[in-house]
Amino acid sequence: MKTTIDRITIALLATLMAVAFYQCKPKGPAEVTIGDAAAQVYVAPGKYDEFYNIVSGGFNGQIGVYGIPSGRLFRIIPVFSLSPESGYGFSEETKPMLNTSKGEVPWDDLHHIALSTTKGEHDGRWIFANGNNTPRVARVSFKSFRTEEILEIPNSGGNHSSPFITENTEYLVAGTRFSVPMGNKDVPINSYKENFKGSISFVKVDPQTGHMSIAFQLRTPGFNFDLSRAGKGPSHGWFFFSCYNTEQAYTLLEVNASQKDKDFIMAVNWKKAEEYLAQGKGRIEKVKYAHNIYSEKTHSATSTMETEVTVLDIEQLPDMVYFIPCPKSPHGCDVDPTGEYIVGSGKLAAMMPVFSFSKIQNAIAKKEFEGDFNGVPVIKYESALHGEVKKPGLGPLHTEFDEKGNAYTSFFVSSEIVKWNVKTLEILDRVPTYYSIGHLSVPGGPTSKPHGKYVIAYNKITKDRYLPTGPELTQSAQLYDISGEKMKLLLDFPTTGEPHYAEAIPASMITANSTKIYKIEENENPFAAKGEAQARVERKGNQVHVYMTAIRSHLTPDNIEGVNVGDEIYFHVTNLEQDWDVPHGFAIKGATNAEILIMPGETQTLKYKPTEVGVVPFYCTDFCSALHQEMSGYLRVSAAGVKTPLKFSTGVPDDATSGAGK
Amino acid sequence: MKKIIPFLVLGMLAACAPDKPKQDTEEYAQEETSKPNAVAENAMTGKGLGQVTHVTLNTPLEGERIGRGKAVYEMKCQACHKLNDQRVVGPGWSGVTKRRTPEWIMNMVTNTDMMLDKDPEAQKLLELCLTRMPNQNVSIGDARDILEFMRQNDGEK
Amino acid sequence: MKTLKPSSRWAIALSALLMVSAYFVPLWQILMWAPQYPEGLEMKIWINTLTGNVKIISALNHYIGMKHIEVSMFPEFSYMIYIVGLIIGVGLLTALANKKILLWIYVFLILGAGVGALVDFYLWGYDYGHNLDPTAPIVVPGMSYQPPLIGTKQLLNFTAFSGPDVGGWIFMVAGVLAVGTLAVEFFLSRKKIAVSATLH
Repeated sequence: MKTTIDRITIALLATLMAVAFYQCKPKGPAEVTIGDAAAQVYVAPGKYDEFYNIVSGGFNGQIGVYGIPSGRLFRIIPVFSLSPESGYGFSEETKPMLNTSKGEVPWDDLHHIALSTTKGEHDGRWIFANGNNTPRVARVSFKSFRTEEILEIPNSGGNHSSPFITENTEYLVAGTRFSVPMGNKDVPINSYKENFKGSISFVKVDPQTGHMSIAFQLRTPGFNFDLSRAGKGPSHGWFFFSCYNTEQAYTLLEVNASQKDKDFIMAVNWKKAEEYLAQGKGRIEKVKYAHNIYSEKTHSATSTMETEVTVLDIEQLPDMVYFIPCPKSPHGCDVDPTGEYIVGSGKLAAMMPVFSFSKIQNAIAKKEFEGDFNGVPVIKYESALHGEVKKPGLGPLHTEFDEKGNAYTSFFVSSEIVKWNVKTLEILDRVPTYYSIGHLSVPGGPTSKPHGKYVIAYNKITKDRYLPTGPELTQSAQLYDISGEKMKLLLDFPTTGEPHYAEAIPASMITANSTKIYKIEENENPFAAKGEAQARVERKGNQVHVYMTAIRSHLTPDNIEGVNVGDEIYFHVTNLEQDWDVPHGFAIKGATNAEILIMPGETQTLKYKPTEVGVVPFYCTDFCSALHQEMSGYLRVSAAGVKTPLKFSTGVPDDATSGAGK
Repeated sequence: MKKIIPFLVLGMLAACAPDKPKQDTEEYAQEETSKPNAVAENAMTGKGLGQVTHVTLNTPLEGERIGRGKAVYEMKCQACHKLNDQRVVGPGWSGVTKRRTPEWIMNMVTNTDMMLDKDPEAQKLLELCLTRMPNQNVSIGDARDILEFMRQNDGEK
Repeated sequence: MKTLKPSSRWAIALSALLMVSAYFVPLWQILMWAPQYPEGLEMKIWINTLTGNVKIISALNHYIGMKHIEVSMFPEFSYMIYIVGLIIGVGLLTALANKKILLWIYVFLILGAGVGALVDFYLWGYDYGHNLDPTAPIVVPGMSYQPPLIGTKQLLNFTAFSGPDVGGWIFMVAGVLAVGTLAVEFFLSRKKIAVSATLH
C-alpha cells in the first residue's frame, strides 16, 4: 500500500518538474498597440493625410508615395525602372531617360531619398534619388511626381553614398560604394591598394531649373563609402561621409573588412574644394556619362553623352579633407538639426560616438592629429568626440531627429528604435520593431527644422506580420507616435519593393502645386495633334506616323489602312482632354513593348512593328467614360510589298474617302 | 493680361458651389457685385449657371475674335462638335446661337460640370448624347471668342 | 536477501525498455528567440545526431566568432548508442537474473550517464561560448555566449532555452523508476530484516 503511494508521489513529482520546465520557456515577442492607435491613424474617407511619405523602392527602382498617418499607397513613380503600366521607358518620349554610357539600363537599385531644402528646411520642390547599381542620380518633380532628370555618375563603383544634399540644395553628393580602378583599367583584383580609388562626385543643382551637373569629383584612397550628410547651420560648408573597409580588403569583406577597431568618418570642407576648383587645381579627366532630361514642354526626354569631369585629389590638396576615427564599420553618419553634432553608427560597435563640429574645428586648428592616412590627417578620436551613447542596442544603423533635441536610432540586430537625447546622450526610451529595422524616418528628420510627430520604421524582415503570399512577402513598415515621452506603435503598413531611406513632408507644402493637367496650348511635342483637324497618318519610307487624338470616347483616326508587315508604326497619341484626372491609355494587340498612358494635354508615342497580316484592334486602356468600351479602332496590316492605299478616318463609313481626315 | 470685355457682368456663384472656378475678377466684376440669387435667376431666364450673367453682342462681328475662336474650337471642341447640324459625340453647332442665349453657351463652355449637374437644358442634352461633356478648361475670354465663331458659323455678319 | 521482488523486476524491465525510445526521439533541445525570429529557432540533440535549424544558428553565430556546429564536432555521437545499449542490457539482465547487485549497477550506470551527459554538455557549451574567433566581425569586449545548461538565458538579442526533449523526459522517467525501485527494495529489505529479527 505504502509503496503504491510512494510511486504515485514520485510520478506526480516528475510531472510537476516537467510542467515547471515548460513554464520557464520564454514567450515570443508581444505585439500590442496601446489605447487609441486606431483613431490616430484613421483618415476618414475623402479626407487627406497629414504627410506625404516619399519612400525609396530599393530593388524595384521606383519611389512609393504613401500617406501618413494612414499608410495608404497613392502612387508608384518609376525612376530607374521601366514601367509598362505608364509606358515610362517604353514610349519613344521616355526611352532616353534610361540611357547610360552602357546603353539602356532598364532597372536600378534605388536606396535613398533627399527632398530639396532651402536654408536647411524642406521647400517642396524636388525629390532626389540614387541608383546604386549602375551609378546614377535622379530628380523627380514635386509638381508632376514624375522623373525629370537622370545623371549618370562616372568613376563610381556603385552609387550608395548618395544623393544627400547641402542646406540650400547647392550640391548633392554621389559617393562610390565600391572603390574601383579609375578609367576602366584591366588590373589584378589583388592590386587593390595600389590601383583602386574611391570617388565622390559633387553634383551642382541649378536653383531655378533643378538641372544637375557634376561640379567636381574628389579622388580618395580606395575604400568603401556608405552614407553621408551635409553640415548645416554652423557646419554648412562641410560634408560628412562614413567609410568602411579601411582595411582595403577585396575578398570576404564580411570578415576582412571588419577587423579594425575603427574606420573613418570623412569630413570634407567643400567650400575649400570650391576654392581649389576656382584656382584651377582640378585636373580634367576623360570619361563618358549620360545626362537625360525630360521636358514638360515637349513631353519628351533627351539624352546627352558628357565626356569630362574635374577631379580634386584629396591626397594632394591640403586643408580640404580630414578623417575622424569611428568605431567598427560606420553606416549612418547623421547630422542633428543644429548642425553641431554628427552621429556615427558603427554597425558592429557596442556604443555610438557623437562627434562635435566645433571640437572638430578646434582639433584641426590645434592640429590634434593621431597621424595620417595617405597624407590625409586623421583627427584624434577624443578630440572630435562630444561623447558616446553607452549600451544603446545592437547593430545601430541610422539616426533621425525630432524638433525637441531627441535622436531616434534604428538597431538592426536588436530590432528596435532607441530614443536618446543628443546633448546628454541619455537613453530615453526603446520600442521593438517587427522585424529588424533598416532605415527610419521622422518627418523633416534630416532638416534644420524637423516636423516631428511620427517615426516610421522600414523593416528588413516581414515574416508573420501579414497574410503569407508564398516565399516572397510584402515589406513591412511601422508607424510610431513620438509626440509624447514614450514611443507608441500605431500601425503596420505594407510597402512595395524593398524600402531603404524615406522622407516625409507636410502635405500642405505640396498639394496646392500639384499639376492637374498639361495645357494643350503649351504642348510642344513635335508629334502632337492639337485638335482633331490635325489628326493624320503620314508615311516616310517604311516609317508610318499616326498623329492620333484621344477624347472621350473616341480615337481619331480609328480606321487605318495601308500599312505593311515590316513597317515601323509610330502612334503619336495626344490626349485632347483638359480636365483633371482624365488620362487615356493606348494599347495595340501584339505590341512587344507596353501600353502608354497619356495625361490630359500630353502627347506620347508607342512604336509598333506588325509581324503578320491581318486587322489589328487597338483601344483605350484607361476607363475614361461610360462609352470607354467603345473607344477603340482597327489597323489593317497588309503583306509586305502589297500596295494598299494609305487611308484613315473616324466616324465615316468607308466610302473610298482615301486620304480624308474626316 | 487679356483684353477688356466691358459687357460682361460677374454674378457671384452661390455659396454652395463645391469648387469655385478661377475668376478673372477685374474684367468681369464691373457692373454688378455679389448677387446671391444670380444662379437661380439665370436658370429661370435660360442663361444657364455660372459666372456669365450678361453678354453684349456687337454687330458687325469682331474678326479678331472669330480667328481666335476658331483656333480654340479646333483644339478643344472639334473632336465632338461638328459645324453642321450632325450630332457626333455632342450636338452639331449649326444654329446653336439661335437656340441658346449667349450667356447659356458661355456658361456651358466654362462651367460645364455644374451645368450638367443642375441646368435642365444641359441635362436634356446629356440624356440625348449620353457622353458627359468634358471640362476643357476654357477661359471666359476664350469662350467669348468661341461664341463669336459660332455666330459666324450661323451666318451672322 | 539477494533477490528482487517480482514488482521490482517488472519495474526495472520497464525502465530499461523505456530507454529504447532514446533511439527514436530527440533527447535534448535548445530553443532560441529573437525579435526577428518570432517563430524561434531550435536545435534538437539525438542520440547520434543533431537536427533543427542548426545551419541558421551557425550562420548567425559566426558573426560573433562562434564555431560552426556540426555533428562531427561531437565524438559522443559515435559511442552514445553503445552506452545506452549497455545500460538497457544491464537493466534487462537485472530483471532476468534477479540479482540485487545488478540493480545497484544499473542505477549507478543510469545516474552516471545522466550526470556525465550534463557535465559533457556544460564543457562543450563553455568552449563553444568562450573560444571565439578573434577576427569575428562583431567582438563585444568581455562578452561570452555560453548557452544555458538548463533553463533560459539572454545572449545579445537572443533568448536561449535549454532543456530535455521527449527522449530526455523518458530517460528521466526510466531513471526515476530505477532509483525508486532501488529505494523500495532497500526500504523493504530493511523492514524484512526488522521483521525477521522480531520473529527470531
